[in-house]
Amino acid sequence: MPARSQSITTEVDGRQLSLSNLDKVLYPSGFTKGEVINYHLRIAPVAVPHLRGRCLTFKRFPNGTELQGFFEKRCPQHRPEWVPVALGPGDRRGGVEYCRIEETAAMVWAGNMAAIELHAPMALAEDLDTPRAVVFDFDPGPSTDIGDCCEIAVEVREILAAVELEGWCKTSGSKGLQLYVPLNTPGATHEGASEFALAVGQVLERQLPKRVTTTMAKAARPGKIFVDWSQNAFHKTTIAPYSLRARPEPTVSTPVGWDEVEACADGDVELRFEADDVLDRVAEHGDLFEPVLTLEQRLPDHTI
Amino acid sequence: MPRPVWSGTISFGLVAIPMKLYNAVNRKSVSFNQLDERTMSRIRYRKVSDETGEEVPDENIVKGYEVSKGRYVIVDPDELEPFIPAATRSIELEEFVDLSDIDPVYFDNSYYVAPDGSPKPYVLLARAMEEAGKVAIGRFVMRNKQYTAAIRAVDGHLMMSTLAYGDEVVKPESIDELNGIEDVDVSDREVKMAEALVASLADDFHPEKFHDDYREQVLDLIAKKAAGEEFEVPEPATEKPKIVDLMAALEASVEAAKSARKRHPTGRKTAAKAKKTA
Repeated sequence: MPARSQSITTEVDGRQLSLSNLDKVLYPSGFTKGEVINYHLRIAPVAVPHLRGRCLTFKRFPNGTELQGFFEKRCPQHRPEWVPVALGPGDRRGGVEYCRIEETAAMVWAGNMAAIELHAPMALAEDLDTPRAVVFDFDPGPSTDIGDCCEIAVEVREILAAVELEGWCKTSGSKGLQLYVPLNTPGATHEGASEFALAVGQVLERQLPKRVTTTMAKAARPGKIFVDWSQNAFHKTTIAPYSLRARPEPTVSTPVGWDEVEACADGDVELRFEADDVLDRVAEHGDLFEPVLTLEQRLPDHTI
Repeated sequence: MPRPVWSGTISFGLVAIPMKLYNAVNRKSVSFNQLDERTMSRIRYRKVSDETGEEVPDENIVKGYEVSKGRYVIVDPDELEPFIPAATRSIELEEFVDLSDIDPVYFDNSYYVAPDGSPKPYVLLARAMEEAGKVAIGRFVMRNKQYTAAIRAVDGHLMMSTLAYGDEVVKPESIDELNGIEDVDVSDREVKMAEALVASLADDFHPEKFHDDYREQVLDLIAKKAAGEEFEVPEPATEKPKIVDLMAALEASVEAAKSARKRHPTGRKTAAKAKKTA
């Protein structure tokens, strides 16, 4: 096996970049940095549209996913000049310049920095006050799993149908499931999105008091799914579609079809996908999450 | 305005001359602060336990001297107290020697000696030493540490250099390459040629000729950045990098990683310690 520990200089779509330590193992399963970059390169055609124009937060794991990674909001100074930045939610000192990923080369660059998790806000950088979607984050408490999340997602889908809204699901890539309701209309607000998600969560809480909670403090209670509506806040980010997660294996936040969610709710499938599975799925089905970027919907004027 | 770093008296015999010391050399390195690139906050060091990683309060920190690997003798500050040299405010001149007797390896930090109060006794001492062509050796205490110092007269004023202790100077025999160097044979002709070369470059010493180019360039860069000027990072003079085909490079790397996993199906170890699952 030839040694490839040193840097190589390469080109992606005319962008020159140098990559280092491709053989470095980043996951306990043996998945290497070269494989992370390989996944980023190949998933870019479907992943980049969901990242484009957004203030991205990277979670980087330069020493592997077993060691603590760090969130990087401020785009590093040493970025290539073709990686653009955008001003986004800041801290006490003011706005922060975030990295934007607009092209495949930037995915490769992020992979080389061991930016394994890509977290994105619901709004675009050009209009930070207007979320493009509502997100429901189903977080399984102790002794519940993604199957329980899928059951709750199916319930939410029915509530959405009652107010003539459609949503799409993706696995969190960790333990949970997330449901996005595309908006893509002017006038949507973070407050409106949060209130709507909370209202839907509370309806479920009344229907299934033993199984659903909308209170963070009760999220740790056994048998309950926490419907996290607070991810819709201005400053919050959610793991981006097709992003790898820093787990023992290279699992991915994977868009899934409602047929799969139903099968998962029935306990027939597990909905757990690693990088290679996701590349195969995309080759077969394309981007199941595409409507989240395009479908225009309005939240009901008065919440349910 | 430089500030004195020490004040006291030079004393020899029955004479005591009030004086102050000023640094003669300002070290001019550029110092940087460490910042968190993401938040621009300063990086702080914390004292943490090697074992728990938790911060240790000052009152629980003691001084230990490692007598052998992992074995420490704890020394209480009170036990050290009696050995700390008394902060006497005087430099006792003990002998006068020739400057050429002191090898430059001994010279440590240099100070200007300035009169404190009436300059007359100071001037007398300086003139007398310059006449005699001698350097005074004395001892004094500064910041709880005992120093040996050499005081010499230069152009009517006095200068002082602290000196390394004899047992602090590394013996040349301890350097392998210098052992037996005096026995190496060279011919007279070769020595003559080398001497001629040295003579051709002989000059007076002009310290102003030599600059810390690195420091000057760094300061220039900082000044430009502070003024908001765009600064082009100069390209180090290297040839153009070879452009590697990414697909090919990744395929080779991915292939290698996959076959490594096949050989060790329980998973390779990460840089950190991997949990054993099998």
